[in-house]
Amino acid sequence: MKHLFFTLFILSSLYIKSQEIPDINLIDLDGNTISIKALTDSEDIKIFSFWATWCVPCINELDAIADVYEDWQDETNVELIAVSTDDARTKKRVIPLVNGKGWEYQILLDDNQDLKRALNINVLPYVIVVKNGEIIHTRTGYTPGSEEELYEVVKEHSQK
Amino acid sequence: MKKLLLLLFFCFTINQISAQLLDNLRVGLESNMAWYNDDKRTGPFFDGENNDGDEHVRVNTYLKLDYSFLENFTATVQIESYEPLALLNYSPNFDGTDFGIYSLNYKSDKLEANAGHYYEQFGSGLILRNWEDRQLGLNNALLGGRLKYMPTDFLSITALYGKQRVGFETADSDIFGFNTEIELSNILKFENSSLNLGFSYVGRQEKTDIEDPNFDELTNAFSGRIDFSKGNFYANAEYVTKSDDVFVINGQSVNSFVNPGNALLFNTGFSQKGFGVDATFRRLENMGFFSEREKTGNAFLENNINFTPALTKQHDYLLTNIFVYQAQSLVVFADPQLMEAGEIGGQIDMFYNIKKGTGLGGKYGTKLAFNASYWAGLKGDYDFDNLSYDVDYFGFGDKYFSDVSLEIRKKWNKKMNSIFYYVNQYYNQRTIEDNFSGEQIKTNIVVGETIYKFGRIGQSVRLELQKLWSNSDNHDWVGGTFEYNASPRLSFYVNDIYNSGSDSSTSENHYYNFGGSYNKGTTRFSLNYGRQRAGLVCVGGVCRFVPEATGLSASLLMSF
Repeated sequence: MKHLFFTLFILSSLYIKSQEIPDINLIDLDGNTISIKALTDSEDIKIFSFWATWCVPCINELDAIADVYEDWQDETNVELIAVSTDDARTKKRVIPLVNGKGWEYQILLDDNQDLKRALNINVLPYVIVVKNGEIIHTRTGYTPGSEEELYEVVKEHSQK
Repeated sequence: MKKLLLLLFFCFTINQISAQLLDNLRVGLESNMAWYNDDKRTGPFFDGENNDGDEHVRVNTYLKLDYSFLENFTATVQIESYEPLALLNYSPNFDGTDFGIYSLNYKSDKLEANAGHYYEQFGSGLILRNWEDRQLGLNNALLGGRLKYMPTDFLSITALYGKQRVGFETADSDIFGFNTEIELSNILKFENSSLNLGFSYVGRQEKTDIEDPNFDELTNAFSGRIDFSKGNFYANAEYVTKSDDVFVINGQSVNSFVNPGNALLFNTGFSQKGFGVDATFRRLENMGFFSEREKTGNAFLENNINFTPALTKQHDYLLTNIFVYQAQSLVVFADPQLMEAGEIGGQIDMFYNIKKGTGLGGKYGTKLAFNASYWAGLKGDYDFDNLSYDVDYFGFGDKYFSDVSLEIRKKWNKKMNSIFYYVNQYYNQRTIEDNFSGEQIKTNIVVGETIYKFGRIGQSVRLELQKLWSNSDNHDWVGGTFEYNASPRLSFYVNDIYNSGSDSSTSENHYYNFGGSYNKGTTRFSLNYGRQRAGLVCVGGVCRFVPEATGLSASLLMSF
C-alpha cells in the first residue's frame, strides 16, 4: 500500500500543467444555480476568490480589491467572483456582510465545499485566475499588497 | 536506489506516452508532520489516545486523484496515510495507510449518479451533512450510491443509500435519504421575488442488542423548509422531527429513557448598500443523530449524521477562542443538578459602512460589524430519578452562553490600516463542558491590530495585541502577534499568549509559536515551532479538543 502511495505520487508529480475548471454548479445569493463552467467560458478574465466570513485575511483581501475594483474593471473587464465556503453556521452572515461592506462582486455559495474540494483547496484565502475555462494563475494566502501582483497577472492576460 | 531510478524512468515513460490521458487528471496532496518534544514545563510527550510515548514523529498525508473521462464521468480516489500513528488526538480509527475515499461519478445536465463515497447535505445540514475537514480529523462521507435528478428548472430530487465512513471502515448501520427542492417562484413565474421549498427524509437502520427495545431499529427524521426573498429582504425557516431515539450515557443505551427529537430554525435579514442586518433563532431538542447510537456525543466527531453547529460568531483571534460555545443538542442527565434536553437562543449580526468623506468615515470610510448571541437550556421539568423531562416549547432555562462583539475596521492611508475588536462573553462551563465543578465565567476581551505596508509589492508588517480580563481568578490573559511579510510568497510570524491567572493547567505558561510559510502557485510549505494550548480547534463552526503539546510542525500542500 505504501509503495502504491509513493508510486502514484511520483507519477502524478511529474505532470504539471494548467488545469481546466471543474464542472460544478453553485448557488448565487438569489438561489439561482450557476454553472462554473459556463461562467468561465469567456475571453474575459475571471478571478475566483475563495473566502469565508470568519477568515480575516480573506476579508482584508476583498476589502483591498474593493477599493480599486472599479479601475480594474474599466481597464481590463475583469470580473471577481467571491466564492463563500461558509457552512450552515456562518452562511447567514454572507449577504449582510457583502452588502454592509458594499462589495460589488458576484457572490457564490459553496456551503458543502464541492468546488473547494474539487480544486483541492486546503487553506483560505485562495485565488484562481481563469480565462477560457483554464486556470492560468493560483495563489494561496494573502499578504497586504498581494492584490497588486494579482492585477499584473490580469493585465498580462487581458485582451482589452 | 536502482529501483527508484527504474521507477522514475518508468513513470517518465508512462508520462510521455499517456500525456493525453493524464490531461484529465487533477491531483491534490496534503501532508502534515509533527515532531513532538518533551516539555520541561508541561511534561513529557504522551499520546493518551494511543497510549504511546515513543512515536514522537507523526505524519498525516492525503493524496487525492480525480480523473475525468468520456465527457460525463469522473473517478476519485483519496489515499490517506497516518504513519507511524496519526497526529495527536485524531481518532485512533485513522491508522496506517489505505484508501479513504473512492468513487465513480456521472454528471449530465439533468442527472447525477455516484457510486462509492460521496458528500451530501440536505438544507442547512440539520438533518444530514457529510463532509471532510482534515484539520479536525473529520470525514463522515457515505459509502453507497446516490442519484440526483433535475427534470425541470424548478425541481430537483435526490435519493441515496449508504454506510457512513468511520476511520477506514464504515459504521454498522444503513442510512437512507431522500430530498426534494422545489423552486416555486419558477413555477408561479414570480418576477421580483423567490420562493423555494424543501423536504427531506433521513432514516437510520441499526440493529440493537437490547431485548424488547422501547424504540424502533429504524429511526426516521423529516425536515421541511421554506425560503423567501424579495429585493433586499429575505426569510427562511426549517423544522425537523426525529422519531424515538434512545438516551446514551458513556456509550451505553438506557432503554427506559427514550425520546423523540425536534429542531426549529428561523432566519431573516435585510440589507442594502452600506448596511446589513441578519437575525437567527434556533431551538434544538434531543437532536443528536449518529450512525451508531452508542457513539452519541463521541469526542472525535465520528458517526455524525446531522450538523448542529454553534450559532455564535466564530472569532479569529487567540484570546477570543479560549471560551468557545458548542451547540448543546443532546440530552444530558449527568446528575440531579446537571440535566439538559437541548438549547434555545439566537443571534443578531449587523454590518455598517460609514461613508467616505464624513467625519467618522474619513477619506476611506469606516467599516463596523456587530454581533450578539444568547443561548440557554430548555425550560421545563426534569426528573432525574424517573429519567424523564417535560419542556416548554419557547421557554428559556438556565443561561449557557452569551457573546457581544464589535469590530471596527479603519484604513488610515494607502499604507496603513487597523482593526479594533471588543468582545464580552458569558460562559457557563458547567453546562457547556458538562463539568461538575465548572465556573460561570464572564470575560472582556480587547484586540487591536495594525498592518503597515512599505517597500516593494507585498512587503508589510502586522502587529496584534490582545488582552482578556475575567471575573475568575483563574483567567487573566495577555497575548500578541508580530508578522513580517517579505513578499506575497514569504511570511514569518511569532505569537505568544500568557495566563497570569491561577488556572491549574495553564497558569504562568507561555504558549508561544513562531514560524514561516512559503507559497508559490498551488504549493504552500509552512514550518512552526511552539507550545500549543490544550483547547478547542474550530473550523467552520465545528470544534474539536486538542491536548497540550510542544514541538515542531510542518505542512506541505500541493495541487496540479
